[in-house]
Amino acid sequence: MTGKERIINTLEHKSTDKLPWVPFAGIHAGALKGYTATEVLQDSSKLFASLMEVHKLYQPDGMPVIFDLQVEAEILGCELAWATDAPPSVKGHPCSEEATIPCRCLLPKETDGRLPMILETMKKMKETVGETTALYGLICGPFTLASHLRGNNLFMDIILNERYVKELMDFCTEVALKMIDLYVGAGMDIIAVVDPLVSQISPDHFTSMCNDSFSTIFNYIHSKGVKSSFFVCGNATRQLEVMCNTKPDSISIDENVNIIEAKKLTDDHNITIGGNIPLTTLMLHGTQQDNMLYVINLLDQISHNNLIIAPGCDMPYAVPFENAIGVQQAIRETETVRGILTNYKASKEVVDVSLPDYDNLLKPFVEVFTLDSATCAACTYMMGAANEMKAYFGNAINVNEYKYTEKINIARCKKMGVTNLPSIYINGKLKWSSLIPSKEEFIKVILDTKLV
Amino acid sequence: MQLLNDISEMLQKGKLNDVKSLTQQAVDQGFETSIILEALLSGMSIIGGKFKNNEVFVPEVLVAARAMNGGLAILAPLLEQEGVQPLGKVVIGTVKGDLHDIGKNLVKMMMVGAGLEVIDLGVDVSPEKFIAAVEENNADIVAMSALLTTTMTNMETVIAAINEKGLRTKVKIMIGGAPVTDAYAREIGADCYTDDAATAAITAKEYMI
Repeated sequence: MTGKERIINTLEHKSTDKLPWVPFAGIHAGALKGYTATEVLQDSSKLFASLMEVHKLYQPDGMPVIFDLQVEAEILGCELAWATDAPPSVKGHPCSEEATIPCRCLLPKETDGRLPMILETMKKMKETVGETTALYGLICGPFTLASHLRGNNLFMDIILNERYVKELMDFCTEVALKMIDLYVGAGMDIIAVVDPLVSQISPDHFTSMCNDSFSTIFNYIHSKGVKSSFFVCGNATRQLEVMCNTKPDSISIDENVNIIEAKKLTDDHNITIGGNIPLTTLMLHGTQQDNMLYVINLLDQISHNNLIIAPGCDMPYAVPFENAIGVQQAIRETETVRGILTNYKASKEVVDVSLPDYDNLLKPFVEVFTLDSATCAACTYMMGAANEMKAYFGNAINVNEYKYTEKINIARCKKMGVTNLPSIYINGKLKWSSLIPSKEEFIKVILDTKLV
Repeated sequence: MQLLNDISEMLQKGKLNDVKSLTQQAVDQGFETSIILEALLSGMSIIGGKFKNNEVFVPEVLVAARAMNGGLAILAPLLEQEGVQPLGKVVIGTVKGDLHDIGKNLVKMMMVGAGLEVIDLGVDVSPEKFIAAVEENNADIVAMSALLTTTMTNMETVIAAINEKGLRTKVKIMIGGAPVTDAYAREIGADCYTDDAATAAITAKEYMI
């Protein structure tokens, strides 16, 4: 079963061989290739290269092409503030002073704003990996787009100027429908309507102000023959029921919602749920083992039908790569990872491992620490790079792999202070963690290794 | 007393004109200014509690705060005449690089509703601006907010600047925002992290009592 089939089957409530995994690597994709958020959100070739790195390292079943809720706002005249390590923010709201509706002449066309580069990247991704990987086209939800246009006044308008909010929502719905046309035309399999702000209004206000817009949008997505998802952020526990009423194929939530309880509700509506690995406390600041443990615990507590495992939202730029690799491994090789975590606790009992006398080695010793190069894609590439060096240098170097699946190797990692996998050490010193070195770089580092 | 209850209830419903006319009525009937003020603040406190429990949401809080401000505007000259001082002064803003201010605005409103004077520096506030506002206003509390993992680190910069200026013992430092945690507050030397606007206001009030 391909990743794409896994995702589509899950959205159609059919059985799958494994749980699907969708890493929301937006700006974080750029970090994998050393590009800034601004570069990756503005330059098609950099975005494409970054997405291919995500595809290679994280082996997703589905992936977003771009995660930026400001694309539509920019086209509609909102001023953006750009950052190197975060998505842009809306700085100026064209309707903030006066409750007006933007001109329909501004409705997005394929030549507007950053759409040419986004559509080009989508088409390229479709050609390259689209056969086997489900591609997500993310559009800004109508309520969040309305807030981009109107600013915070929108929240007061909900109570004080209901008619205006409805008119603005109608306009933003039209924008969404145009975006759907463009993204479906560029080959997207799933349209995700990302509306973080709906968690900030009451279910009653959602029903009176937003229900028609979202229902229209999801209905339109269905009519185009593709799947839909409704992404929300924040504590949307109270809004889930009314979100379900708009009939998306799936809903994606962040860590502020209890996914186990939420799934009971989405299951009742026959809607797939996705989420909700904590972004900051776990993915950004946790260790690889913390991430693995979280996923294992989640999988132990939740029913596996109608479920997609994903980060809570757009992954922070600086998420350590090994954390996302750990999540993927815990989803795909659950029992092996469970064993690793058990062995990690038990590894104190293992007889002390003896390390080589690194300061007095006669030739470079390349040690590759992996989760398991047979099952973890990033580990396979890392080990492949080391094997290539062995083929290049022959007997002039030694190469060894230590799989974390074995207790003795966990003890070795602890003794050497190896915390992130996969990683490469040469003569006892860390050289690369998660990022696979190029052949040229690897050769240079080996040649530069000082020996006795 | 029914009149005071009505003020609180109309405030909770966000009825600006009703709150204004009822507040004026209470003044005209000779209620003590501090008692009328208490009716306004208690209404806002109830809204804060409901917001914390997800019973009301951002729009309801904003219109309630607008109604409260309508009532406070009537009381302000009287409070000044009577020499009533706010509980304390808070300097608030989102940190450098962060333009997301919904949370900060809610905290501000709740703090005003708790009887504090709040100096709002807006968004994208530099450490220098925080320092200048603390010195200029003789502030008791600095409250900072960030929505992004990348901008929250600027909270530490502000704290370092406050330390450097020798102001740290003079002010309490409060932080909040989606990616911020209690552990982070401890790590950077803030006095506290609060995870919702109502708790932020309660905590600030406790600092001043």
